[in-house]
Amino acid sequence: MEKIQSLELKNISKSFPGVKALSDVSFSAYPGKVCGIVGVNGAGKSTMMNILGGLLQPDEGGKILINGREVMIENPKAATELGIAFIQQEIQVFDTMHVYENVLAADFDKWRKGKNSLVLDRKAMKKEVQKHLDALGSNIDVDAPVYSLTVGEKQLLQIARALSEGGQILLFDEPTSSLSDNEIARLFEIINKLKAQGYIIFYISHFLDEIFSLCDNVIVLRDGKKTGDALISDIDKEKLVGMMLGHMVEGNARSGVRAQSEVVLKAEHISGVRLPKDISFELHKGEILGVWGLLGSGRSELFNAMLGIDKMMGGRIYYRENGRLEEISQKKLYPHIGYLTEGRHYDGLFLDMSIKSNITSSDIGRFASKFLGTLNTKKEAVESRSLMKQVNVKATDENMIVSKLSGGNQQKVIIAKWFLKDPDILFMDEPTKGVDIGAKAEIQNLIFEKSEKGMSFVIISSELEEIMSLCDRIIVVYEGRLVGEVSKADFSKDSLMKGIVSQEEKHAD
Amino acid sequence: MSDKLKRFAHNNKQPLTMLAVIVIMFVVLSFTVQEFMSYNNITNLLSEVASIAIMTSGVTFVLVTGGMDISSPSIMAASAVVGVYVMTTTGNLVLGTIVVLLVSAGLGLINGFAIAKLKMVPLVVTLSMMTVATGLATVISGARGLPILPPAFADFFNKYTVIGMLIVAAAILDYILYRTSFGRKIYYIGNNQNAAKVSGVNNDLIIMSTYVISGVCAGIAGIINTANISTARASMGPQSQILDIISAAVIGGVSVNGGKGRVREACLGALLIGGISNVMNLMGVSDYYTTLIKGSIIIFAMGIASLRSNIAEKKGA
Repeated sequence: MEKIQSLELKNISKSFPGVKALSDVSFSAYPGKVCGIVGVNGAGKSTMMNILGGLLQPDEGGKILINGREVMIENPKAATELGIAFIQQEIQVFDTMHVYENVLAADFDKWRKGKNSLVLDRKAMKKEVQKHLDALGSNIDVDAPVYSLTVGEKQLLQIARALSEGGQILLFDEPTSSLSDNEIARLFEIINKLKAQGYIIFYISHFLDEIFSLCDNVIVLRDGKKTGDALISDIDKEKLVGMMLGHMVEGNARSGVRAQSEVVLKAEHISGVRLPKDISFELHKGEILGVWGLLGSGRSELFNAMLGIDKMMGGRIYYRENGRLEEISQKKLYPHIGYLTEGRHYDGLFLDMSIKSNITSSDIGRFASKFLGTLNTKKEAVESRSLMKQVNVKATDENMIVSKLSGGNQQKVIIAKWFLKDPDILFMDEPTKGVDIGAKAEIQNLIFEKSEKGMSFVIISSELEEIMSLCDRIIVVYEGRLVGEVSKADFSKDSLMKGIVSQEEKHAD
Repeated sequence: MSDKLKRFAHNNKQPLTMLAVIVIMFVVLSFTVQEFMSYNNITNLLSEVASIAIMTSGVTFVLVTGGMDISSPSIMAASAVVGVYVMTTTGNLVLGTIVVLLVSAGLGLINGFAIAKLKMVPLVVTLSMMTVATGLATVISGARGLPILPPAFADFFNKYTVIGMLIVAAAILDYILYRTSFGRKIYYIGNNQNAAKVSGVNNDLIIMSTYVISGVCAGIAGIINTANISTARASMGPQSQILDIISAAVIGGVSVNGGKGRVREACLGALLIGGISNVMNLMGVSDYYTTLIKGSIIIFAMGIASLRSNIAEKKGA
């Protein structure tokens, strides 16, 4: 395969019945550069990538040129042959197979010992895989079973797979969404290495920080049109967000000290099976309390153990009822709280059911008659509709099946579900994960609104900026233990990292 | 008006197609098979179908949670045998009938407890229950079998009572599953157990209840079958009957993966399967062929159901 010197897209449009997903988008990319692609959900990023990957065909009039020659990308196989490789957002590996088998999974036939042999030449396979892993600077054992690898290592396998297929144009689609901070740093090293080796790299991300630290230039899409194409050195964050949204977003300010209002919930010495270990905290009325920690620090486990989803091994919970703070069992506490979990599909939604049934699931008893438990479906519809409006779910009506909604709208359905219950305390684990900037701002505003009305929040977020802008107070967990508490006045990346860094130093000693 | 009609047709596609199939089948049969459309045969058919249909309704509750209950016919036989034993030893028919319901509920509760609380696999638990219940029935009925009941029992549970029981039971069960908050929770669990738990549903309790409901339905079927032969035997719940029950539910649109289906349609499925057996009986087809033909028809019907959901999925995507 010849070396790719340039990739140009000219006047690419794509229409679906009733929607124009892309209109007249042109740009070019060159080796040794990382090109960021940003835009809110539905802006056309995926359509763009699917056209490059051969999954969709552009409308007539659009052209794709490689080294100045027009090419047709009729299907994913054609894309691979042209040297275009996808590194998907969801990490897809064969867990029970070995590393080298995973990397070469796309084309086992090539590795048969002879033309008519049924036996694979495993030695040659391992050598080939080792070569690519070395190029990526990785020390993963080619013989290791894949289930023993970390998420970051699994992703590296996907990159190695792309290289082994002869990929010269690499498309990264939200590659950091399931990685920890350390793993993200490693990934960036690798991408920079690939960049130095002369690959053409596309990088799609919701995280603007990543775009600024990694990319050389950025292409912005909005409603299917290109609204920005700039060298990263020429713009700043505000400008970029402006290109994405078309209007400037206002930073949210929140005043008042809620730590002085009455305590509504007090957790003492909460311990789970493995994590967390002995965590205590207090929550005030109307307060937004942040829980910050690295991936695997036991943040989600704290919620699960405390709320009785997993087993709680030790600890006491106190809850304010009738003006007095009294000890309460998990079962009795549950009716007063809401719990927005991290896994939208795992334990958040009933995917095959209607928006209405999803929203009312948090408090279905309210719609049941006293005697027979007959559901009042009219009331369900009315309340669902009003909540859909309040949180701005975009759907044809309340009977639409949830699996057909976009990720951002699905997240809003879950928020609507807990707002329907209107609990005193709402626990939220990554409330804006995988949601675009527009929806993110809306969700944050909803949280502010509710807290003004007296609802208390406990929020986990991996995004430092989000948690700092949302919360009144942040507690820091590390390896299942509470290692620090920071109040609003002292919020800074340093103050939050300090707790964790001091722990890691202790470990090193 | 026509708008309303359209919406009604759209919302009830499944039962309407099934009704259409049943009506067409009956019309064709009324011309080809003598006696089929006679008042006698139709009422006989309905009363024959009643026990299968009621068991199917109960099993539907379990299936919608994503569970599985293959012990239904065995529970039916065991509870009937215990009940008849009580009736013949005490002479009290009412007490015996109550015992049938209590025993079936108890066996269902054991299923439910093992599955919901001990987290055992539904197929394994109900498979074991199937052999245990059959064994229990065999032991109690003994080698010579149980005596014949006084005619009062069969007189009370005559075919009109039985048809009435079927209609009332199906209506009540359909209402519980589809219209009440208890039923909605069953759909939540079947759709996503984890999300149901986080939403505050008491999964264990609800799952346990569905096995009890399935058990009680088997008990009601046991009463009907007992009246039919005026006694009870271990063999009146052949293990092959569970195939009829599950296929009736699946033909009626109940998903074995949980989260989908209604009692109403499952009962129509039972009617379809019962109809096939009845017709072959009337035509004098030998028993060997009956199972062969019935099996083929069931596979065919389920294949169509699966094809249809595949197409629906593609359309959705």
